[in-house]
Amino acid sequence: MATTAQITITSADLMPGSALNITANTTLTKAGVTADLDQKESGVIKLVTGTEYRLGPLATEMAGDAHDIASYLYVHNKTTEDATYYVDWGIHETMIGRLYAGDWMFIPWNASDNDAEIEIEPQGGTNIIEYCLFNSDVILPTAG
Amino acid sequence: MAKIDASTTISSDIASYPVTISGEMTMTKSANPSVGLEETTGLRTKKFTTTTAAVIVEHDELTDDKAHKVYIRNASGSRANFFYVAYNASAAAATTAETIGKLYGGDWMLMPYNGNVNITVASSTATETQMLEYMVFADGIVAAKG
Repeated sequence: MATTAQITITSADLMPGSALNITANTTLTKAGVTADLDQKESGVIKLVTGTEYRLGPLATEMAGDAHDIASYLYVHNKTTEDATYYVDWGIHETMIGRLYAGDWMFIPWNASDNDAEIEIEPQGGTNIIEYCLFNSDVILPTAG
Repeated sequence: MAKIDASTTISSDIASYPVTISGEMTMTKSANPSVGLEETTGLRTKKFTTTTAAVIVEHDELTDDKAHKVYIRNASGSRANFFYVAYNASAAAATTAETIGKLYGGDWMLMPYNGNVNITVASSTATETQMLEYMVFADGIVAAKG
């Protein structure tokens, strides 16, 4: 039950005389051990501009010691209408970067507490993102 | 104008159906998405022998509110050890509010970065040496003044 993630970054002309060719591969495992991650959630969402959204679960919706949870998040901004559109992303209220139309990101995520959630806010207009979170244990809401 | 391409393939057999994610992008500037990034801090490697947090990307060397990209890889082999990676002036720990995640041995990450606050890391171990690789693809570098 393995999940692998590979990246390749290339450029022939960023550093003239020294072509860039980075390749790395990792297998996503549970925190601190070699056991494979065994759960995921994914989706495609249309996000209206001007609102902050939470992506993925809160720490209290994940089983175990929050500090020991290993999660990995892939996000791709699928927006094609306008290349100047982007999605601000960050941890809680702190925005870290801009995921422009067509861009993707892949990060480890430390769900240390409920104030460490992944937050996204579309800019420029309606953005469409696809995401996939690979994680260990998520607790589903109790049925009413 | 440089052309920098980044692609990823994520494959998983977690589900009963095959999961294969393929992402491709050309890194471009914020002001003009048809123009490629053309600056970099270069690919750096750093050995860590303590758990003291360290700044690996100084935001004041980069233009604020831009479309920078940061690549980081834990080049060590142990899945027991990791680096905290944070968006913070100086700290990186489990309880640091802006800690993004834990980069275990062999793990890599590529994230968009606005250049407004430092990127910091802290090794989880002082008993085993860990190696970090990192590179900033910059949408504007502020040259140091003499």
